[in-house]
Amino acid sequence: MMPLRQKKVFCRQAAVKTTMLLSVVFFFALFSGEASAQKRFSKNYPAGQNVRLRLMNRTGTVTVEGWNKAQINISAELEAPAANIVPQNLSGLIDINLLRDNQGREIGNVNFTIRVPYTSMVDIETRIGNLSVTNIRSALVRAHITSEGAITLTNIEATNVAAENTIGDIFFDGEIKEGGTYRFSSSKGNIALRIPFSASFKMVATAPSTRNISLGSFANSDTNYLGDGRRVLGKFNGGSASITVTNQRGAIAFLGR
Amino acid sequence: MNCSDCKELIGALMDNELEQTQATSVREHLAFCAECAVVCEDLTSIFDACKNGASDIVPPNSKALWLRINNMIESDVKPAPALPEPPVTRSWGISILRFSAAVLVIAVISSTVTYFALRNYIQPPTDDFTSRSAATQTTFEKVLSKIGLVETPQQARERRLKEREAAIEYWNARVQARRAQWDRVTREAFDRNLQVIEESVTDYTTLLRHDPEDELSGEMLDAVMNDKMNLLRDFADL
Repeated sequence: MMPLRQKKVFCRQAAVKTTMLLSVVFFFALFSGEASAQKRFSKNYPAGQNVRLRLMNRTGTVTVEGWNKAQINISAELEAPAANIVPQNLSGLIDINLLRDNQGREIGNVNFTIRVPYTSMVDIETRIGNLSVTNIRSALVRAHITSEGAITLTNIEATNVAAENTIGDIFFDGEIKEGGTYRFSSSKGNIALRIPFSASFKMVATAPSTRNISLGSFANSDTNYLGDGRRVLGKFNGGSASITVTNQRGAIAFLGR
Repeated sequence: MNCSDCKELIGALMDNELEQTQATSVREHLAFCAECAVVCEDLTSIFDACKNGASDIVPPNSKALWLRINNMIESDVKPAPALPEPPVTRSWGISILRFSAAVLVIAVISSTVTYFALRNYIQPPTDDFTSRSAATQTTFEKVLSKIGLVETPQQARERRLKEREAAIEYWNARVQARRAQWDRVTREAFDRNLQVIEESVTDYTTLLRHDPEDELSGEMLDAVMNDKMNLLRDFADL
């Protein structure tokens, strides 16, 4: 018969072993679960200077960065259930359409990071999620969110810029090109535009609900307030470009730099 | 007698200028030659028409015409006596130049009216900067609006709203059919965004009820209805 002390030691060792075994099983289960929940996608395309990127996402964030390479690099993190991503390379156009590629399927968030030559035209769209575009110098930058998400456009030099969402902030920091067209529209969120003092543009800013339109250092004698302050018209440095900002239930701010 | 001879003699037969033997020959030929008989019938018809319609060809004032002819003959024979000048009557005859000018004016007017009517119909009257309002209408457009040839900005807005409402109804039905297949996050996001848009629609509708002339609210209502339609359409694809 086993002595009582020896029996206690044996029981303690068995408990420790069981705990360690369970911990290992739990760790592997957790790790393997995470690994199956998230997949990665990556693809490179050679690209000329005037390539156009068109992306239609469903839910998730999209980040587009301009770089000094003649190449497009698309990488994405796919949450479960993983979406199909089938980019199409159509003579100067890289087209990614997750709605088309996943019709009738339930898919998880897809978070894109795309690097393009900095002279590329960028046209990105999503149903839900944040959009960000940085370092682009081309003819077009368009960011459209059907419902909610923030839009951030920084270091942009484009002649046509459009940013639209329903709920979420919009921030633009870039140049205003001569003869360019710039449109920013939101239903609920704050819109802030950071542009050079020397920019030549005419502007229509409308904030019917809040009447909160801050012109900052752009306030001058060439501005007209209409509809009890719901809309501001202005012309600056000759009025070459055209800026239209509409915010149904939020504020508008012009920041000079 | 052949057909050629017969056709030559038909006219004389009508005028009773043929001898008995010739007239008999022609009548015999006409009895069996269908082609010549048709020619004879045609000629008879023409003769009858001339006889019956002779009175219609008489000039409106034959007495005056004869007087003018007489005067012309006399003027050739001897110097015409000084006649009192006839009273000057207004002539309604139109020269080619006047006619061309009239056609040109009508063409310009009708083109202008058509242009504005089509532009108003095809393209909603908005320009790049601001939506059209009564204040931005040209005088010509205002005149056309008054006489009902083009829409006023208010009428155009009402028409667009009706069109949007019909489209919204369609897309809403599709959304309702698809909604059950969305995940919880998508459903909640959709509801939140639709609610924000609905709040704006309610605000502008209330403002316009109090002041139908408020062009800015009209323009904003138009914009949020467009946003609502786009939201429904985009989510109907999911």
